Amino acid sequence: MTHPDDLLADYVDGTLDERARADVDAHLQGCARCREEVRLAGAAKASMAELEDVPVPFGVTGPVVVEAGKRFEQRGKTWDRFRWAAGLAAAAALVLVVALNLGRGDERNAASPAGASAGTGAAAEAGGGAADASATVPFQGIERQPNVNYDADGIQAVANDASKAVASAEKAGAQTGSGAGAPSPASSALSASERFADAPRPRLCIEQSGLPTDSPRDVLVRLIEAKFENQPAFIAVFAESPGAGQPADHVVVWAVSSKDCRILTTASFRIPQT
Amino acid sequence: MPERPARDEDLVRRYLSGDRAAFAALVERHERRVYNLALRMTGREEDARDATQDAFLTVLRKLSSFRGEAAFTTWLHRVTVNTCYDLLRKRQRSPLLERGDDDLPALEPPPAPDPADASSLSLDVRQALMQVPEDFRAVMILHDVHDLRQEEVAAILGVPVGTVKSRLHRGRVALARAMGLSRRVPTNGEPADASGSSEGTVSP
Repeated sequence: MTHPDDLLADYVDGTLDERARADVDAHLQGCARCREEVRLAGAAKASMAELEDVPVPFGVTGPVVVEAGKRFEQRGKTWDRFRWAAGLAAAAALVLVVALNLGRGDERNAASPAGASAGTGAAAEAGGGAADASATVPFQGIERQPNVNYDADGIQAVANDASKAVASAEKAGAQTGSGAGAPSPASSALSASERFADAPRPRLCIEQSGLPTDSPRDVLVRLIEAKFENQPAFIAVFAESPGAGQPADHVVVWAVSSKDCRILTTASFRIPQT
Repeated sequence: MPERPARDEDLVRRYLSGDRAAFAALVERHERRVYNLALRMTGREEDARDATQDAFLTVLRKLSSFRGEAAFTTWLHRVTVNTCYDLLRKRQRSPLLERGDDDLPALEPPPAPDPADASSLSLDVRQALMQVPEDFRAVMILHDVHDLRQEEVAAILGVPVGTVKSRLHRGRVALARAMGLSRRVPTNGEPADASGSSEGTVSP
């Protein structure tokens, strides 16, 4: 028997013309298989109609809108209006820009938080920014910006910028470090805890806020002391990879109050894959 | 009468000619649709967030080459669906171990924020949808959930309308079976499941 498969979707939708509908009805009379399929298809359609829209979670499209604004900046058209990104005003704050991976913390590095690796970390960090020319994501130590007051857009802009920096560092690393042993940022860079070594207070504050500082999946790429919405803050920027030793795929920024170590805000951005 | 909202295509033109707010308006207008499409395609909130962000970034990047040959919404849907395909493929390729065992339970949809009756039904459908092959799933979501006409679905996916019709029907049957709605059909000379219904179906 030939089944009118090409008509059954429209039959269920009720969009067949009268004649085609009559043909299908006639077929259904004698065909249990098609009757069952029509019953199932109708039930599925009804179930799907019950699906309700959910609202878009906060922070999903914001980064894209920020990115859209930056294109203007690059074209030099609205440079002046875009100044908000860096924030304008005020006094001192600690902004820690760190990409931390909440909840995935210490799978192998369960070391006690404070100071365990401070010695080696400090030594390595003393070399400053690019400790080696490989795939490490550059880190310039704590950046003190006492007069910069970030807002949510500014924090987001920090995340967007950092994702580009990490992407180009990863790209450079992939080129120079070819072969099986190519260092990936997450494995060859100084660990987050080492990068924190010259900044014990921000580190402590970030730990107190509940964020992990020693996950092998997270690399601290910037640490800023500034303000967030007029509150003194540490801003930590982390490059976060899906697993230890893999290239980072997200940048996460946290702003933590330097007074009481509360998390003030966070932003994240995907790292463009080349 | 309220003022007529600007057409998508006009917003695109305005953005390209220097009106930065026009892009924000486009995002605001479509983000809910894009996010919910991605959520139903990928079945996971985390993936839906990534897919939504990626889709809009792709649109932003390619906006200058958007010629208006297709409607903006058609193009946006196409970008979103393709982004979801990429993400699903990537997820399949990357061994689950690498993602961490912690992620496995996420295959179960996350608990709904409010435990109303409707939402538990939604969870069942969402779960079952993930068992329907993605080409079929895309057709069903666009047509049955997002209420797009078959011709629009065909344009979005770049397939003939006939293909949309057959995927729609096969997909619906597969979904119902995945939801456990099938029952044994008395075999009066017609094998219930074996004839031609293998494509895209899930055995009861």
